[in-house]
Amino acid sequence: MLEIDQLSKSYGKVVALDGLTFDVRPGEIFGFVGSNGAGKTTAMRIMLGVLAADAGMVRWNGAELDLHTRRTVGYMPEERGLYPKMKVAEQLRYLAGLHGMSPAGAAAAVDHWTDLLGVGPRREDSVDKLSLGNQQRVQLAAALVHDPVLLVLDEPFSGLDPLAVDVMSGVLRERAAAGVPVIFSSHQLDLVERLCDRVGILRSGRMQALGTIDELRTTDRPQWTLSVPDPAAVVLALTGRGIAARNGEDGRTVVVGTRDGDDGLAELDDQAVLQMALTAGPVHEFTRVRPTLADLFRDVVSAAEAPPEEAKHPARRGLFGRRAAA
Amino acid sequence: MSIVWAVARREIKARMLTRANIVSMAVIVGLIAIGTGVGWFFQHRDSAPATTHIALSSETAPLGPVLAALATTQGVTLETPAMTAEQATASFATPTDATPDAFLDGSPASPTMLVQSAADPTVLDMVTSAVRTYTLDTEVSALGGDPASVAAALAAAVPTVTAAHPPTAALDGAQYGVAMVMVALLFGALIGTGSMISMGVVEEKTSRVVEILLSTIRPSQLLAGKILGVGVYGLFQVLVLGSASAGAAAVLGAGNVLKVSLGASLIWLVVWFLLGYAIFALLFGGFAALVSRQEDIGSVTTPLVMLLLVPFYTTMFLVPNDPQSTLVRVLSIVPIFAPFMLPVRSALGAVQGWELALGLAVTIAVIPGLVWLAARVYRRGVLHTGGKLALREALRSGS
Repeated sequence: MLEIDQLSKSYGKVVALDGLTFDVRPGEIFGFVGSNGAGKTTAMRIMLGVLAADAGMVRWNGAELDLHTRRTVGYMPEERGLYPKMKVAEQLRYLAGLHGMSPAGAAAAVDHWTDLLGVGPRREDSVDKLSLGNQQRVQLAAALVHDPVLLVLDEPFSGLDPLAVDVMSGVLRERAAAGVPVIFSSHQLDLVERLCDRVGILRSGRMQALGTIDELRTTDRPQWTLSVPDPAAVVLALTGRGIAARNGEDGRTVVVGTRDGDDGLAELDDQAVLQMALTAGPVHEFTRVRPTLADLFRDVVSAAEAPPEEAKHPARRGLFGRRAAA
Repeated sequence: MSIVWAVARREIKARMLTRANIVSMAVIVGLIAIGTGVGWFFQHRDSAPATTHIALSSETAPLGPVLAALATTQGVTLETPAMTAEQATASFATPTDATPDAFLDGSPASPTMLVQSAADPTVLDMVTSAVRTYTLDTEVSALGGDPASVAAALAAAVPTVTAAHPPTAALDGAQYGVAMVMVALLFGALIGTGSMISMGVVEEKTSRVVEILLSTIRPSQLLAGKILGVGVYGLFQVLVLGSASAGAAAVLGAGNVLKVSLGASLIWLVVWFLLGYAIFALLFGGFAALVSRQEDIGSVTTPLVMLLLVPFYTTMFLVPNDPQSTLVRVLSIVPIFAPFMLPVRSALGAVQGWELALGLAVTIAVIPGLVWLAARVYRRGVLHTGGKLALREALRSGS
């Protein structure tokens, strides 16, 4: 298990990490999400020891993650890096060797991963002759080639075509199934939602939301979408009873409730809402709306960008509390 | 250690086994070989020693030993075939390779000398001296003396010359040449390997591969491997070019003329290259980590190139002028000067054992300090991106 314990890091006056704490369990794919500058890359670089934390510790199976253990980690840095003039296979064999693999084992692993990632035919080309997408695949191979016991990937999907995304997703799932904890950062939230067992949303160096996708999407502020022939009538009927309702974007639906909870629904359950709507006409569909990861992400970010809003919703402070220091 | 060697092996492969490098090394060695061949040709074109033939009749035969002795002292190859007057006349009538330069007939004390058209002045001088010596010997014998002791007394009758102000022992052309080749080889190898290391360090930073490397290995292992690998390349270069130069010098005879031991000079060249390399590779490697882009590399390497140029020029101008002057002797124990001055002075035989030992000791003593400095600067700088990191900054910060 990978434990991130109270990591703090400042660049001069800029606080990058502020007591960041979470863990990644064996066989788990952990999605690391946050806006640009939230501290994801800093956290990953500290995990890999290329950056020193001001405070806190990274532990692997209970012991500090030291250089010896780090040799067994697969890392893909945010800024991709390979020797441009070195041949693909030679380069991967070299990196595998630095991770402690035998020459024969390295050669077999290089063949395996380059074939799997679709760059097998380019093994004898130098890296700078490859397209950016293929360079990216080689970079992934570099992170995977030494059969790592932990994968730390900073934006592994950026720049990949849909086919490569599928291959990469498959590889991550397969590695996780083999018991390897996988942590990756991404801005492609649909992908994170689809792939990850757990997600952490980072803002200003703190973990603002952490849990499985289901846990995060479960909210005590329900919303519903109603499919009705006459949305205007339904909206009128509901708002007339103090319930927040608005026309859906496609003109045939009504959205009931708001995500911030100030919607008059506090005492009402789904059957009560449905009955109210039925008084205004027929209802063809009645669906509970759950926030997407993108919605949750926006909440986290907007909580930072619009601090006065926060005061109105003390119930949320626990989850989306603002840091004292700017 | 196996990691350091893995890094070094990659460097060797990436630097040494490139087509450009192999071609350029082959071209340089080829040029040295061609130059040697041309030099050898000109050296030997005129020097095939011509044999002087002075034919003697039975009457002038007693001049033979005298002529032979003269020929030995004058360094002339002489043959004195016996001929009759008829044979000589016939030979001059139809000249062949066997036709003598002169034929001596008649009394040995006043012989007639038959030549083709005109007497060769050296042949005439030789014959004149021989006849006089023969006459002198005959007269000394007639007076009851010993011609041998007279000859010995005459040989000893030369003045002994002592100069009140002898000129300083300036180097001759060959010595100067050996010194220049050594200095140029050292300078070229040190500046070549130094810039190779600094470019390698910055290349890893620019391509960002350093982050992958340093998630696996220590900065000190990466720097050590790089220095080791480029060092092997530099050593190979010095050995190949040094041996080619020494071979050229041997063929052209510089070693014999000079009493320069080419083998020992080559060994000192290699030893001092390795020591100089240790100093400059550490400086180039450590300081290059301060910048992140190839175009900024000059700002850190220029001062280091100056550090190489100063001892290079100082050695080139001071040592051939007087390899034992006080200034040269003092600079010879200063670490950046020693790798240039001491091997040249060793080659010229113008250095004392204790000076050499002191120079070696001082140079070796500063290397651990440079290792510390380079490792510190490199560790700070290598993951720093963006503009140039100030040296003061790199040396200050903790951890």
